[in-house]
Amino acid sequence: MELMKSSDNIIQDRTQQQHKQEPEMQAQEGQQEQGHHFHVLAVDDSVIDRKLLEKLLKVSSYQVTCVDSGDKALEYLGLLNNLDSDSTASSSSSSSSSSNSSSCSQSSQREGLKVNLIMTDFCMPGMSGYDLLKRLKGSSWKDVPVVVMSSENVPSRISIRCLEGGAEEFMLKPLQLSDLEKIEAYLLKSLHLSCTNIDKDDDDNNADHNSDNNNDKVVNNDSNIDKGNNSTSMNNNFSKRKALSSEDTESRRPKIKGLAVAI
Amino acid sequence: MELVQIQRSLVDYTKSLFMEGFLDAQFLQLQQLQDDSNPDFVFEVVSLFFEDSEKLLNELIIALDQPNVDFKKIDSHVHQLKGSSSSIGAQRVKNACIAFRNYCDVQNIEGCLTCLQQVKQECYLVKNKFETLFRLEQQIMASGGSVPTIELGF
Repeated sequence: MELMKSSDNIIQDRTQQQHKQEPEMQAQEGQQEQGHHFHVLAVDDSVIDRKLLEKLLKVSSYQVTCVDSGDKALEYLGLLNNLDSDSTASSSSSSSSSSNSSSCSQSSQREGLKVNLIMTDFCMPGMSGYDLLKRLKGSSWKDVPVVVMSSENVPSRISIRCLEGGAEEFMLKPLQLSDLEKIEAYLLKSLHLSCTNIDKDDDDNNADHNSDNNNDKVVNNDSNIDKGNNSTSMNNNFSKRKALSSEDTESRRPKIKGLAVAI
Repeated sequence: MELVQIQRSLVDYTKSLFMEGFLDAQFLQLQQLQDDSNPDFVFEVVSLFFEDSEKLLNELIIALDQPNVDFKKIDSHVHQLKGSSSSIGAQRVKNACIAFRNYCDVQNIEGCLTCLQQVKQECYLVKNKFETLFRLEQQIMASGGSVPTIELGF
């Protein structure tokens, strides 16, 4: 585990470095045309699944930070020490505006740490993905979309519980490139939410994005509708066979024609 | 051996692995993720899997050897192994894990022991398969060629 811990830190350092350098965007598919590097926090106790998820996300041009537990995730987000104060703050305040302003101050406490999406495994030792979800939704990071993943076809009462707990979606592992398209929708949603709550500096950065008409329609009201749709799509996820995603490559290796195998 | 022959061997070999159920479509997904910036990605993930599985198998041996078998712990290990084998597309290992968990659920020690042997066997078999696969790929790369991809039709 020590080795993994240090490699997680390395992954973290690398992504933060990329972030600071403000690089020219790598030429990738249309989702990145707005010029944003979405930052995804991935939480999974399995080293293999972390590596896979990290690769999936990086191939899709996202920045990734991987941690191996819910506790580490909370620590990364600066929530471990502040947990009590966060929960009292959100329970005492009823309006959403004050919690939004606290999310800004939370970010600034973490020196502008920005996380656009959190993806967490459901079944983890210690803090489960569901526990993490509840903690996040009760904190100043509550507006960040959370996707829960599981390697099993869990009973719908569990996946529904996650959706009711505020998860955007419940996805079946192993994740595939085609699943990343759904992720993009949640990322764009989170970007829009952060756009509406902010001060000028970020507005300048997001100028290109604000002109995107589709996102103007993504407001809080719609999130309820989205959740309804999610449970249907979630059912579809369980019943579907994982077919090959033929659309995303851009083959990285030359193909030998005429050798397709029918199985 | 000529480059084209090696490439052909690789394709045939890979196809056979799918036919025999050693690998499933998830392995293709892994290959699709590999690119020039990370040309050893598949090798790294597969290697990680074997490191991980070795540890898990050892823990399972120990756990099943206890006077009071902790089935919860065993189930947890097997769940982990099932997940990681599924993530790399090692289908037969995954299926063996599923059977293993069923015996765990009913706390059948004999069944668990048998399954443990089966899982070990499947890990061993697929490890050999991967080693052959990687060796063929290396031969191709060493000859200056590129590794052909396989496409599956459903």
